[in-house]
Amino acid sequence: MGNGIPGLGQAYHVLFVAALIFLAAMVVLCLIRAIIGPRIADRIVAVNMMGTMVMVIIAILALMLQEGYLADVCLIYAMISFLAVIVLTKVYMGVYLEKKEKEEKAHGSN
Amino acid sequence: MAAIEWIRFLIGALLLLSGLAIFAIEMVGVFRFKYVLNRMHAAAMGDTLGIGFSLVGLIVMNGLNFTSLKLFFVIVFLWFSSPTSSHLIARLEVTTDEEPKKHYRRMTIDEVEKEMAARNENETEEMGEE
Repeated sequence: MGNGIPGLGQAYHVLFVAALIFLAAMVVLCLIRAIIGPRIADRIVAVNMMGTMVMVIIAILALMLQEGYLADVCLIYAMISFLAVIVLTKVYMGVYLEKKEKEEKAHGSN
Repeated sequence: MAAIEWIRFLIGALLLLSGLAIFAIEMVGVFRFKYVLNRMHAAAMGDTLGIGFSLVGLIVMNGLNFTSLKLFFVIVFLWFSSPTSSHLIARLEVTTDEEPKKHYRRMTIDEVEKEMAARNENETEEMGEE
């Protein structure tokens, strides 16, 4: 970034490091939300947000380190975090409905 | 030449910083709202607008090459995946909520229209009194 121009390389470096530190702080806040979130949906939303911020971190690192393949990692990360949300919601909904059905059956036999 | 590079850096930095500002607003919203279905609005903002601004800023800094194309694909993928995951999370919340009356109420369109009409009437009456 900014080859051959005095000061520009340093400016890019400062910007990227500041952005990375800021995003790291945001990820920690997301983690706090995931821990205190009273409902399951709260936690899933927090994990989704964390995934988005990690994607930005990876994209910044791809430019900062001049490694193009990190952009591929970013793309795959987006797909996997989407898949994680789908699987988590489906699993929790299935478990909940199964439990409820069982309870209703127990009430019916009484 | 150096001036153009500096302008590109400034535009990219501005876009990246607006993306980070959107993330900050998202965190404020997520901590201040009281219920998941409200919090989800704040969270979805970061998924589309926040990452969109940030990655467009990075694309501007990087110039046009394959890495930029991949970053653009990330934005496009999130445009599709974020509403889908929000919808799924909302459905999970509505299905598993044990006491929905505390958190929200279900309305049909007619009820909403009636309520809006009543509210508008009240407002016009108050205006008249003033």
